Amino acid sequence: MNLRESLRISWRSIRAHKLRSALTTLGVIIGIAAVITFMVLGGGFSEDIVGDIEAEQEPSMTVQTQTTPEDGFGVMLVETPIYTESDVDALEQREGVEYVAPQGSLDVVQTTADDEQLTGAVDAQATTADRFEHATFVDGEPFDGADEAVVNEQAGQAFEANLSAGDELELTFEDGETTTVTVAGVVESELGDQTPPQVFVPADEHYTTTVETPDGDEERAYPTLQIGAEGLDDVDPVQETAVDYLEDESHAAELKEDDDEIAVQTVEDAIEQFDDLVGQLTVFIGAVAGIALVVGSIGIANIMIVSVTERTREIGIMKAVGATKRDIMQLFLVESVVLGVIGAVVGVAAGLGFGYLGVWLLGWPMVYPLEWVAVAVAVGIGVGVVSGLYPAWRGARVDPIEALRHE
Amino acid sequence: MVAYDTGPGAAAVTAESVRRTYHLAEPIHAVDGVSLSLGEGSFTAVMGPSGSGKSTLMNLVGCLDTPDEGRIEVDGRSVGELSDTERARLRGTEIGFVFQTFNLMPRLTAVENVRLPMVFHDGVDADRQERAQTLLERVGLGDRLEHEPSELSGGQRQRVALARALANEPTLVLADEPTGNLDTETEAEIMELLVELNEAGATILLVTHERAVAEYADHVVHLLDGKIEDLEHLSDARDVTAREQATEGAGNRRPTGEGEA
Ligand SMILES: Nc1ncnc2c1ncn2[C@@H]1O[C@H](COP(=O)(O)OP(=O)(O)OP(=O)(O)O)[C@@H](O)[C@H]1O
Ligand SMILES: [Mg+2]
Repeated sequence: MNLRESLRISWRSIRAHKLRSALTTLGVIIGIAAVITFMVLGGGFSEDIVGDIEAEQEPSMTVQTQTTPEDGFGVMLVETPIYTESDVDALEQREGVEYVAPQGSLDVVQTTADDEQLTGAVDAQATTADRFEHATFVDGEPFDGADEAVVNEQAGQAFEANLSAGDELELTFEDGETTTVTVAGVVESELGDQTPPQVFVPADEHYTTTVETPDGDEERAYPTLQIGAEGLDDVDPVQETAVDYLEDESHAAELKEDDDEIAVQTVEDAIEQFDDLVGQLTVFIGAVAGIALVVGSIGIANIMIVSVTERTREIGIMKAVGATKRDIMQLFLVESVVLGVIGAVVGVAAGLGFGYLGVWLLGWPMVYPLEWVAVAVAVGIGVGVVSGLYPAWRGARVDPIEALRHE
Repeated sequence: MVAYDTGPGAAAVTAESVRRTYHLAEPIHAVDGVSLSLGEGSFTAVMGPSGSGKSTLMNLVGCLDTPDEGRIEVDGRSVGELSDTERARLRGTEIGFVFQTFNLMPRLTAVENVRLPMVFHDGVDADRQERAQTLLERVGLGDRLEHEPSELSGGQRQRVALARALANEPTLVLADEPTGNLDTETEAEIMELLVELNEAGATILLVTHERAVAEYADHVVHLLDGKIEDLEHLSDARDVTAREQATEGAGNRRPTGEGEA
């Protein structure tokens, strides 16, 4: 029997039981729709963050401490201040290093500008003016002096007055003390829209966190450093020297927890790591959604077995007029594959639809996970074949005489 | 009484001491030691009371069932020794079966039902539809092509079943009461069609309860309790033979050669 004829007959019986066929494919539809939705959301999320980051190369890199969470995967930033002033000085001496700008957060709980108070919304960081060496200022310039500050665009826009150079800003610390600074400049965020509102003030005057160094001295220490290389060609060697120094000779190496790792990353490295993470997470969630697919294929198999029993008489008739076991197998397999493919196609459409809705609501860009669409359709066919095999085999075994007697 | 031999021409169907037993509380021999030879191109009717084993015999000859004892040859091949697939092929290509209960596919239209045997027999694709239509026109159903069985009368269904049996130009046509639900006029048309087929060379085996229908045939096999009670020749053709079982009183009720040809 040729394929077109089996498609015709199978399609007949699918259409004859519209509701049942629809319910059968529902499992596959939900499974595939869930997978595709998560792929769209994951892709959109990643695209949204990474897509904003200026591809423009800068000869700078960030030093941070990372750890792998005990349960779960990915990396977490560790905010412990382990990079001491001595580490900063030592790194600055290395060849190719132009500057080392330390950075640490201040416990500012409230920011006030022009009588408008923002509580907890603006993150305050202490750093040095070198930090802005490669930054782009939309207004003003880096701070120069204890009572000056730099805000990023997000922080500027957080206030109704929309901060610009020359505006006054009052910072309230956790212990109730306040200090007033003048905005010297507004800086563009290199990490795009996702960056939280930040205000930067000079570390020398505002940063007070100290640790006891391995040598027994009290020194100021920071959780983050930014290293600037002299030129783009120096980035790789500087990265290498920095890693060598920080891992072997620095105070940080001794101060960090055993499980923590010192990461020296350029912007590209960070993007790569982030992409990896989102990718892993998406696949993980996708796999969970894939369980729905397994349930879906059991659904198809179940209905097909019922359908074989129900159609015993028809099988008998077909055998009586010359259908071989193979013909019967083919009919039932084609039917379950058609159901699987319908499930896959509808599932992909629904998944793209939900994904589209999701990224639209979240303001992320739409991403079409083409390879996953291909995978989904392949899975649909596979589900059809696998779940149709046993019922088809049962149908093929039916004895024509017995079947014709069946009412 | 006619002694068993293979007859003058080649035999389309040969049965040798065929027995089909159903094992219920006590074994029922639905067909009990039947020996019969149907020559190629012969036209034979089977008569007998209800439950005498007519349908069972038809199933055996139609390669749907296999004998528990003895041997059946169709088209020179021993049915019991064929594989399932070979039997299916034989059913599809050489045999046209009209069932007592029609056995039409409920969700397919008349024309699709008639196409069905062609679908399983990979012939030329293009003329299937046309051929199915022609066959339905031949049985007087040209205006019911797209009707499903549930939308047809009993007699119309029977005629669809007959048209379907002819789909693959079978050399052996088995019809289990094909005129059971028809008025005399349609009955005559259907019987003329079978005679036409027979004249074109097909071997025909027909079950009927009516003497008038049986008289279209050249031979009448009388069954009783699964055994051949009598073989009656209505014409000069002697291409159908049967070996009588040595049963008391067999053959006494109907003398042979009584009917007109
Ligand atoms: N599957 C079966 N299981 C048990 N007994 C059966 C089965 N099929 C047929 N029989 C028995 O075999 C005998 C012959 O049945 P068959 O159907 O061949 O009769 P028939 O001559 O065609 O009767 P009718 O004229 O009523 O159609 C009956 O006694 C019936 O009860
Ligand atoms: Mg019968």
